[in-house]
Amino acid sequence: MNYKSQITPTWCPGCNNFLVYSALQNAFSALNLPPHKIFIAYDIGCSGNMADFLKTYAAHTLHGRSPAFAVGVKLINPKLTVCVVGGDGGIYGEGLNHLIAAARMDIDINIFVSNNFLYSLTTGQTSPTTPKGAKTKSTPLGTPNEPINPVKLLKSVNPNVFVESLGVADLPKLTETIKSAINHPGFSLVDITQDCIAFGKQLKT
Amino acid sequence: MAKFVHSIKIAGPAGLGIKSGGQLLSKILIAHGFNVRDYNEYPSLVRGGHNTYQTSFSNQEIFAPHYHLDLFFSIRPKHWQEHLKEFTCQTLIFSDETAPLDLKTGIFLNLPLQDLVEQVGNPLVFNTICLGVIAYLYHLEQKICSKLITQQYQKYGDINLAAFNLGYDFAKKNYSAYQKRFSLSKNNPKSPKLLDGNESFGWGFIKGGGNFYAAYPMTPSTGLLHFLAEKQTEHKITVIHPEDEISAANMAAGAVFAGARGGVGTSGGGFALMAETVSFCGIAEIGMVFYLVSRPGPATGMATWTSQADILFVVNSGHGEFPKVVLAPGDHQESFDFGIASLNLAAELQTPVLVLSDKFLAESSANCRDFSKSPSDIRIGKIISNLPQNFLRYRWDTPEGVSSYPLPGTPDGEFLANSYEHDQYGFSTEDPDVANKMLQKRLKKYRLALKLCPKAKLFGNPNAKKLIISWGSTKGPILESLPPGFAFLQIRTLWPIDPKIKKIISQYKKIITIENNQTGQLTQLLKSQFDFHPRHQILKANGRPFFPEELSEKLVKL
Repeated sequence: MNYKSQITPTWCPGCNNFLVYSALQNAFSALNLPPHKIFIAYDIGCSGNMADFLKTYAAHTLHGRSPAFAVGVKLINPKLTVCVVGGDGGIYGEGLNHLIAAARMDIDINIFVSNNFLYSLTTGQTSPTTPKGAKTKSTPLGTPNEPINPVKLLKSVNPNVFVESLGVADLPKLTETIKSAINHPGFSLVDITQDCIAFGKQLKT
Repeated sequence: MAKFVHSIKIAGPAGLGIKSGGQLLSKILIAHGFNVRDYNEYPSLVRGGHNTYQTSFSNQEIFAPHYHLDLFFSIRPKHWQEHLKEFTCQTLIFSDETAPLDLKTGIFLNLPLQDLVEQVGNPLVFNTICLGVIAYLYHLEQKICSKLITQQYQKYGDINLAAFNLGYDFAKKNYSAYQKRFSLSKNNPKSPKLLDGNESFGWGFIKGGGNFYAAYPMTPSTGLLHFLAEKQTEHKITVIHPEDEISAANMAAGAVFAGARGGVGTSGGGFALMAETVSFCGIAEIGMVFYLVSRPGPATGMATWTSQADILFVVNSGHGEFPKVVLAPGDHQESFDFGIASLNLAAELQTPVLVLSDKFLAESSANCRDFSKSPSDIRIGKIISNLPQNFLRYRWDTPEGVSSYPLPGTPDGEFLANSYEHDQYGFSTEDPDVANKMLQKRLKKYRLALKLCPKAKLFGNPNAKKLIISWGSTKGPILESLPPGFAFLQIRTLWPIDPKIKKIISQYKKIITIENNQTGQLTQLLKSQFDFHPRHQILKANGRPFFPEELSEKLVKL
């Protein structure tokens, strides 16, 4: 089955979002999901730009609000496989309230977070997962905040939810995890950790 | 002869059934053939304080509660003190205390409520004792009263009946000199249901096929949340109380995208949080309804009072340029009608539709048609199920700017609803020509909106030289006080402004605007559309609605 749109991805050459993009398509295909039975709510950010590169039912929503939009879709059409694609900024920052509420609701939406510990589309500022002390463009003196641990956070909100964190590099494992998330009957979130090839270097210094 | 209108107010601390007792009185009056217009005041607290419930009733048509009272009941002593201006020399003031020396206007009557309540043995029947007194003074039929009391209080029916009879007998013994004289037409009332504006809108929502409603509680819109939540099973409505107003709006946008009819309800502060979603619905062409019940701002303002100060905020809500519709119901019937109309307009225009009400309309009850028996009226707009090859969700070569869309799940209809500017498929674009064409496509919807939206309504003397212009809940007090030499234009669609309004206005010599706000926002709005210079602006922005008496007094001088 084809899930690709006719638009060539605009991510930086070598961006890890290409791997997430492939893993998602592999998982949809392995689960035999036709594109019209999939809905994806994309957040704003580099990861959310995937909205233009896949062709399913989709919404490129407001920043942070993708989980809330997805919940609305699932409530009205439970037959759709409802996914959210976003980044650490939108899902763990701007929209954290909605993330927690959706996990409490344990509604069957599947959130895939490209977590690169930075805001990247806005050229490299601190995000909710940036390690404490890291110097970024918006925190040149080092970020004073403790980072969010999404797995611990969501498990404490609702122990029944499916939540896993893994590195982006192992494509077969990522595909399997996405499949497991979609197959899980309630709320699920896969935290896909990765380096931003454009702005990630500042986190290493 | 002036029409028969009487007003009764019950006042006391919160938690003693002021509202339930007042509403029961109204139901009893309706059952006797009266028309009623109620008005309640309460502070933002749960117990104590000073709550009032007022019923103005007439054997003829009545459009608004009156200011001056005929009967006043102080459930606890001293609750009459805040109401001195509402008393006339004929007002009967009932309270459980010796006649105060400082009361200059009105007839003070001792009503030993505490003694009577102790005779019944239940502290929650103060209001029903007052009801007995009222029933005696207005010759109300005890059979009708008993039936409605039993209906309302169910397992506490007997104890309330005892209280009612005690009040009735006490009045017969002590107040026979004050029995009222009037004639009653015993017609069955055409409008038998006591509903407030929120409930009326809720019935419209149901009859318009509404099946998704999300709201975070905020006075004075919460009544609609309660109403729909209670009816969700019977009428198959998904009702959600989410974590905040931002979520409510985005959830509803998702639901409408997925095929639901519906939206959100809130007040000014909550709507401020939803403004980004209004804009999103504009660009992604999601036809959802925002029901906004105003209260005085800024910020938290006065939570339980009324205001019309959000008109420019609502008309201008959402960043960027996109078509939107703003409807303003003026009474309960229009709250119902616009409940239906807003859902249909949203579906047909695929753009946000905002309904602007206020506390005075939304929380005041009146006798209404039984809307539950009204037929459904559902127009779904351009939903398609058979999709052409190369389907373009945001096709721009449509005469009215509205393109077809499939419900998600339909084979071959996959599309992207995009918060970014987009091409005809929905994919993002920064191309200047495509962006321009998309903007034009969406703005074309205004032509259709002007055709479909409720038109302005003209009341009063068609040959008058003086024209009152207003919108929303001021309709009631204006109609109730309209002097013979005046016409009244009610603007029912605040956006887009119908160009015909200019023509209507040009036929009058003297223009007066009336608004429940400080800065004359309707005047500002009309000025933005055409040359408009009202001679007088009657404005009020202290949280209270206009009353017919104060308007008459001002209008006759103009």
